[in-house]
Amino acid sequence: MMLLAQAAEAGAGNTAEVLLFWVFAVLALGSALALITMRNIVHAALMLVLNFLSIAGLYLTLESAFLSIIQVLVYAGAIMVLFLFVIMLLGVDNDDLLTSEPTARVLAVAGGALLAGALLFAFVGPATSPASVCGPDAPAAAPDQFDCRGLAEAYGEDDPSGVAFVGRTMFTRYTYAFELSALLLTVATIGAVILARRQDLAPEDEDEVDGVPGAPADGDDAAALARAGLPATERAEGGEHHAEVGDPEPEDHEPSGSPDDHERRG
Amino acid sequence: MAIGYYFIVSALLFSIGLIGVLLRRNAIVLFMCIELMLNSVNLTLAAAARMWGGPDGQVFVFFVIVVAAAEAVVGLALIVNLYFRRGTLDVDVPQLLRW
Repeated sequence: MMLLAQAAEAGAGNTAEVLLFWVFAVLALGSALALITMRNIVHAALMLVLNFLSIAGLYLTLESAFLSIIQVLVYAGAIMVLFLFVIMLLGVDNDDLLTSEPTARVLAVAGGALLAGALLFAFVGPATSPASVCGPDAPAAAPDQFDCRGLAEAYGEDDPSGVAFVGRTMFTRYTYAFELSALLLTVATIGAVILARRQDLAPEDEDEVDGVPGAPADGDDAAALARAGLPATERAEGGEHHAEVGDPEPEDHEPSGSPDDHERRG
Repeated sequence: MAIGYYFIVSALLFSIGLIGVLLRRNAIVLFMCIELMLNSVNLTLAAAARMWGGPDGQVFVFFVIVVAAAEAVVGLALIVNLYFRRGTLDVDVPQLLRW
């Protein structure tokens, strides 16, 4: 980590940045290739985690410490946990779902290679010359070459990581977009809750779930999903609620009490 | 390090993600490849921010990450619903969106 911090702080074109760039670039490309070729979905998800982490390292070499931390927190932390949770919930470990027709495979690889070739054709000449090395000590760039200014000058002396620099911009020029993103997250949360709920579930399906945890039938799995979506405390709470309402028989904690539970929830 | 190498890495990552989307039929793997493509675009934005020496690219990356998080939540909920309605994650099987 000390090495990473040095690379993030140091200027452009030094050997630490070059070394770290190659390490993280090879890691990112290799894990991306492994992601699209792995048969086991859990392994593919772990490859994606490695890819996210190496991209976080690339952010560090790009002098963007804030983005690096956000990348690790949000992508490698939250989103990948969500992916792995869904994989675990659905119980789909491995399947060979490559495209079936060989022509489609050839076309897919050819299309991707075409896109990569076009992008490389655009970048290799003018952007990879020594003039494009970031920092003030790089040679002057020709008009058709990319000139990299670097961020050290913009960050200033008292803010070497650049977090305050990014934060100032985010809360002055982009305040409105920031508020809108909060609204977007709220809408996405509500939408996910509504999507994960199943209101067309018959009450007897809910009853069967407790007996057969891993049944392969569709209805049972759906009920299991509804169970997993709602935490177990909800059910216990429902039972307590049922008892609190004034039911004289408090022994009604069996799954047969679920229809009332379902009505209350619906 | 010349800034073009970052662009090249993100171009290659985007192409790999595109090949994955076209090659795989599993909905979850498809979704992971889309996340890979989003990340490569983020890397391009961060590299461009360094190239221009301004903060806007990094702020854009932040917003893209926010939108990607929302998209992952809703998309995974859709995938779970699809699996329980159809019993498979093969995106060629449902054909609900076919005309």
